Amino acid sequence: MTSNESDIGDIGTFPEGTPRRVEVNGKTLLVVRKGAEFYAMRDACPHMGASLSGGCVVGIPVQARPGDQVDYVCEGEIVTCPWHGWSFDLKSGRSLIKPDRLRVRTYPVTVVNDRVLVAAG
Amino acid sequence: MKPTIKPKPTKLRQSEKTAATLIDCDVHNYPISNAALAPFLPRRWNAFIKQIGFTGPADTPYKGGYPFNARRDATAPGGKRPGDDPAFARTQLLDAWNIRYAILNSLYGVPHIQNLDFANALMRAINDWNAAVWLDADPRWRGSILVNENDPAASAAEIRRVARDGRFVQVLLFARSFTPYGNRQFTPIFETASEVGLPVGIHFGGGLRMPVTACGWPSYYIEHHTAMTQAFETQVISLVCEGVFVRFPNLRVVLMEGGFAWLPALMWRLDKNYMGLHHEVPWLKKLPSEYIREHFRVTTQPIEEPPDPRHLLSIIEMIGNDDFLMFATDYPHWDFDSPDRVFPSIMPEALKQRIFTINATLCYDFERK
Repeated sequence: MTSNESDIGDIGTFPEGTPRRVEVNGKTLLVVRKGAEFYAMRDACPHMGASLSGGCVVGIPVQARPGDQVDYVCEGEIVTCPWHGWSFDLKSGRSLIKPDRLRVRTYPVTVVNDRVLVAAG
Repeated sequence: MKPTIKPKPTKLRQSEKTAATLIDCDVHNYPISNAALAPFLPRRWNAFIKQIGFTGPADTPYKGGYPFNARRDATAPGGKRPGDDPAFARTQLLDAWNIRYAILNSLYGVPHIQNLDFANALMRAINDWNAAVWLDADPRWRGSILVNENDPAASAAEIRRVARDGRFVQVLLFARSFTPYGNRQFTPIFETASEVGLPVGIHFGGGLRMPVTACGWPSYYIEHHTAMTQAFETQVISLVCEGVFVRFPNLRVVLMEGGFAWLPALMWRLDKNYMGLHHEVPWLKKLPSEYIREHFRVTTQPIEEPPDPRHLLSIIEMIGNDDFLMFATDYPHWDFDSPDRVFPSIMPEALKQRIFTINATLCYDFERK
């Protein structure tokens, strides 16, 4: 564990696809697990400040036209705000609709010996 | 018969520079009686008209104090109703204002006729009457292909038939439909318009099959007229959200006689909702307002007239495209916008030129073969 990393718990305490709110060094973060991958971002929507950890983890529906089959990509990698539904990519923090203008800060997460470590300085 | 009274031409503030290229995107003509359409109807439907005593499609219940909703000076000598005399309209509109092109929107209420075969026969008759009686009368007239929203397949066939005449420059629908036009049942109309390269014009009116406002039937013409923006807003939202422009990326839609000051608010509201509800319409690939700016154009009449004219310029700036607006008079109707008075004096000349001329030439192919 490096000096800016914090141990936020055992891997088994993070259910897949369910956002979990953690406090690290005075920061409130949202942590999401997707299989062996973990994502962490600031737990505040840039729109109205709602706690993103109260939202849903989803995928991106892909449908060329109304009536066509719907497929999903990036499942488990998108969080939607519990208030207005704004969506953010958990990997990059970028808004799905305005990726160049809206972004939530993200933090690196690693797993060492089944312990989840987040680098949130 | 040539008119014996010639209206006095009004001098344009822009002088010949503007007048020589003025394009009027919304003018109305009407057959005065069934007899005018008889040469263009099959025997079956002429006999039917005689047998049932048909006097025309159901008319609007809203009367605003103007016979035929027309300017009081638009009745031709001899008493022909406004919009029924090509020679008089030529004098009072085309010559008086030195108009280069004027688009005729024949607002015959075929969607108000439930008998589809009869309605479609009248639809075809109106288009043929428009070509023979009006378009042949002066090379400056252009036509819109009237279609029947209640029969999209027949409408598609009519678009293909009439579009062979290059003087028809758009397809014509009424704003108050029984279902919003983005619904996939209307796909044949938009698909065919896109195929033949014509914009679809959506014009003020229609709606006798449904309450004319979102809250039912108002009492007065002033309410009906003002609330027409509801129908236009519904159509814009529907066409964008149902993916019509995803299916037909070359399609253009022209909103006629619905005003435009409401558009910025609609774009903001729709974009905001899209931020949270985009998962419902995953076929959209950009903000709804971007589809609106790219695919829609709007005619100016009846232009909003805020007390402070700077606010009108602010609205245009909020819409965000200087190729968005196209000039229209709505001749011969009572709410005619006069070319020399319609825009505030503070409007930049370059923008006036775009609205009077350039934007219409970008939207329509007036020399289509």
